[in-house]
Amino acid sequence: MDEQLKLEKKVTRRSFLKMMGGLGLAGITANIGTGVANAAQNGSGQGWLPEQYQSAGTWPTQVRGRIPISPNNPSITRDNKKCILCGQCLEVCQNTQTVFGHYDLPIVDDIVCINCGQCALWCPTAAITECDDTAKVMQAIQDPDKYVIVQTAPATRVALGEEFGLEPGTFVMGQQVAGLKRLGFDSVFDTNFTADLTILEEATELIKRIKGDIKKPLPQFTSCSPGWVKFCEYFYPDLFPNMSTCKSPQQMLGALAKTYFAKQKGIAPEKIYSVAIMPCTAKKFEIQRPEMNSSGHYWDKSSLRDMDAVLTTRELARMLKQKNIDLPSLPEEKYDPLLGEGTGGALIFGATGGVMEAAVRGAYFFITEQQPPAGLLKLTPVRGLEGVKEAAVDVPGVGTVKVAVCHGMKNGRKVLDAVRKGEAPYHFIEFMSCPGGCIGGGGQPRSAVPPSDEVRMKRIASIYQADARMKHREAHENAEVLKLYQDFLEHPMSHLAEELLHTKYTDRGKRFNQLKA
Amino acid sequence: MSKAVLVDITKCVGCGSCGVACKMWNNLEYRKESPMLGKDSKLDAENWTNIKLVETETGAEKQSIWRFVKNQCLHCEEPACVSACFSKALQKTKAGPVVYHANLCVGCRYCMIACPFDIPKYEWGKVIPRIRKCQMCPGRIKEGNSPACTEVCPTNALTFGEHKDLLKQARATINNDKKYVQHIFGEKEAGGTAWLYISDVPFKELGFRTDVTTQAVPHYTESIMHLTPAVGLTWGALLTGMYVYNRRRNTIANEENDNKKGK
Repeated sequence: MDEQLKLEKKVTRRSFLKMMGGLGLAGITANIGTGVANAAQNGSGQGWLPEQYQSAGTWPTQVRGRIPISPNNPSITRDNKKCILCGQCLEVCQNTQTVFGHYDLPIVDDIVCINCGQCALWCPTAAITECDDTAKVMQAIQDPDKYVIVQTAPATRVALGEEFGLEPGTFVMGQQVAGLKRLGFDSVFDTNFTADLTILEEATELIKRIKGDIKKPLPQFTSCSPGWVKFCEYFYPDLFPNMSTCKSPQQMLGALAKTYFAKQKGIAPEKIYSVAIMPCTAKKFEIQRPEMNSSGHYWDKSSLRDMDAVLTTRELARMLKQKNIDLPSLPEEKYDPLLGEGTGGALIFGATGGVMEAAVRGAYFFITEQQPPAGLLKLTPVRGLEGVKEAAVDVPGVGTVKVAVCHGMKNGRKVLDAVRKGEAPYHFIEFMSCPGGCIGGGGQPRSAVPPSDEVRMKRIASIYQADARMKHREAHENAEVLKLYQDFLEHPMSHLAEELLHTKYTDRGKRFNQLKA
Repeated sequence: MSKAVLVDITKCVGCGSCGVACKMWNNLEYRKESPMLGKDSKLDAENWTNIKLVETETGAEKQSIWRFVKNQCLHCEEPACVSACFSKALQKTKAGPVVYHANLCVGCRYCMIACPFDIPKYEWGKVIPRIRKCQMCPGRIKEGNSPACTEVCPTNALTFGEHKDLLKQARATINNDKKYVQHIFGEKEAGGTAWLYISDVPFKELGFRTDVTTQAVPHYTESIMHLTPAVGLTWGALLTGMYVYNRRRNTIANEENDNKKGK
C-alpha cells in the first residue's frame, strides 16, 4: 500500500508532461544534430545510396546492357526483376544471329527480331523466356466442345528428357506421346509426317527449278525455319524468288488437320484446336502470320486459323510437371494414325543438314526412280556443327547437284552475300536459324552451362542413331503421306497442294533503317 | 566542372537497360502496377527513371514510328526545388547532381509543387515518407564513374560528360544531320538543365514540356523577394510617420482641453 502511494506520488501529471517534453526536445536536438552531420557527409555527393553498391564486386562486374524486346513480341518476354544486364543476350543476338546492331537507328515502329529465342537460351537468370501459352492450351483441353490435336517436332524427342533429369540426347519419342495423351490431348500427331510431305513438295520444286519447268532462280533455299524466313524477309528480301514456297512442316500439318483430317474424321474444322510442341519460339510468331489461314480459305471461314497454339519443349515439360506426370517412367506409346507416320528422313529435320540430306534422298528417288545409294543415306559432309557445309551429289540424268548447309544466321549471312554476288555455285541451300538446327532451338531445355556444342552433338547423335534404326528412311516410303496424295492432294504441287502447303513472303526491309555501308 | 548527360532519342531502342541499372544501383523495387518501361510506364517513388514508348507519325506519308523517351530528374542548373526547400534537404552540388538529404527533409512537399517538370515523388504509403527522385548517382560521379544508367546503354543513346562539351557535341550533331529537330531540350529550358535531349521528332509530340519557361524558376521569386527590405522600410517609415502625427495631434488636443478647463 505504501509503495503504491509512493509510486503514485512519483508519477504526477506534471512530472509526466515534463518528462515527455524533455524527451521530445532531446529527440529534436539529436535529429537536427545527426541530420546536419549527415548533410555534411551527403554534401560530398554520396547521397543515401546503399553503400554496398559503391564497392566493386556487388555491382555486377560485367554490366553490358541487354537487347530490346518489343511489347508485341509473340515469342519471347522478359522479367525485368531477374535481369542482371550481363549482356549474354546482346552477345548471341549481335554476334551469332547478326540481328541486333545490324540495323540502323532510329527504329521504325517495331523492334527488329527474328523470334529465334536464342537469347532465352543464353540468359543465365532465365529473365528472358518464351511467352507462356500453357494456360491457353489447358483451357482448350478442358473445353468439351474442342477437339484438341497436338503435333510434336522432330527435335523435341531428343531433348524433352533433359527436363526430367535424363542425359542430353535421350530418345523419349514414345514417352512424349504417352505424356501428351495423359495431358488430355485427343489426338497426337507427328510433325515428321509433314516433314516427309515437305520433302516431297520441296524436292519436286527443286527438280522443276533445275529442269526449268518453273521460272525461279537457283539455288533454292529451304523454308522450314521460321526464324530464318523472317531473317531473310528483313535483310535479304531481294532473294525471295530463291526461297522455296513450301510452308514449314508445322504449318502444313496445321492446314491438313483442319481440312484432310477434319473431312476424314467428320469433325467440324472450327471445333479442332491445333497445338504444336516445338523446340522453337519463332513458331509462336509463325502461327500468327496473317497468311497462315489456308484452312479458312478452304472452308471459306475467315476466322479459322491453321494453328492455334505453339508450346516450346520447356512449356511441355512444365505442363507435365504440373500434372505430376513423370516422363521417364511412362510406357512408350505410338502416334495416332492419319497424320502420325514419319520416316528417318523426316526425323533428321531436327539436326542441321538434315533437311538437305532428306531432300537429296527424295530428289534422287524422284529423278532416277531408284533407291539412293548407301552414301546418300549417310551424307557425312552435311552432318556436324561446322558453320557452312558443302556437298556434291551425282544424280544420274541431272549431273552433279551442289548443296550447302548453314546454321546460325551469322553463317547464313556469308552464304547469302555470296548468293547476292552470284558467287554461290549451289542448287540447294539449307538454312537453319539456330546453331545446330532445331535441336539447338530457342525453346529447348536450358542447360546449366551456356548452350554448348557438347549438348548439341549429343542431341544430334541421338537423331542420327534413330534414323539409322528406322525401317523407312525416305519420304516416298511414308505410307500415310502416299495415302494423303491418293485421297486428297493428288500429286506434289497440285493445285490443292499449292493452296494448302505453299505460302508467300513479306518484305520486311522497310520495317527498319538499313545500315549505311 | 559541371557534369551532364546527353540523350540522343534517335538512338534509343527501348531495351530498358538504364531502368534496370537504376533499380540495381539504387535498390529500388519493381512494382507491377507501375512499370518502368513501355507505353504505361511512369515515374514514381520506386521508378527514378522510366522509358516511355511514344507511338507517333512522321513525314508526309504519316509513317507510324516508335520513339522511346527516358524520363528522370533533369538536374536543373538553378533548381526550383532547391529554392523552394527551406530545410536544405535538396541541394545542388557543384558536380551537377541535385541531391536529396532525407535527414533534413520535413516532408512539406514544396519541391513537388515547385518543380516545373513534375519530377519529385513522395512515398505516400510510408509512415515516415521521403521525397524520391533521380540523384544522378553522385557517389559514382565522385569516384570518376558515370551514372549507372549511362554506363549500360548498349546503343550509346546516353552520353555522360562535361556540360559544355556535351552542348557543343549536341549542336554539332543536330547541325550535321538533317533528320534532327533544331532544338536541344535542356539548353535553355528552366534556365538550363544537366540532362540534354536531341531528337528527330518534335519534342512536344514526345510528351516533353515545351511550354516551360526559359528563365531559371527561382528568378521569379527572387525578383519579388529582393524588394522585401525596401517594402519593409517604407512600410515602417509610413507607420512611424502616422504614429508621430497621431501622437502630436493628441497632445495638441489634450493641451487645448486642459486650457479650456483652466478657464
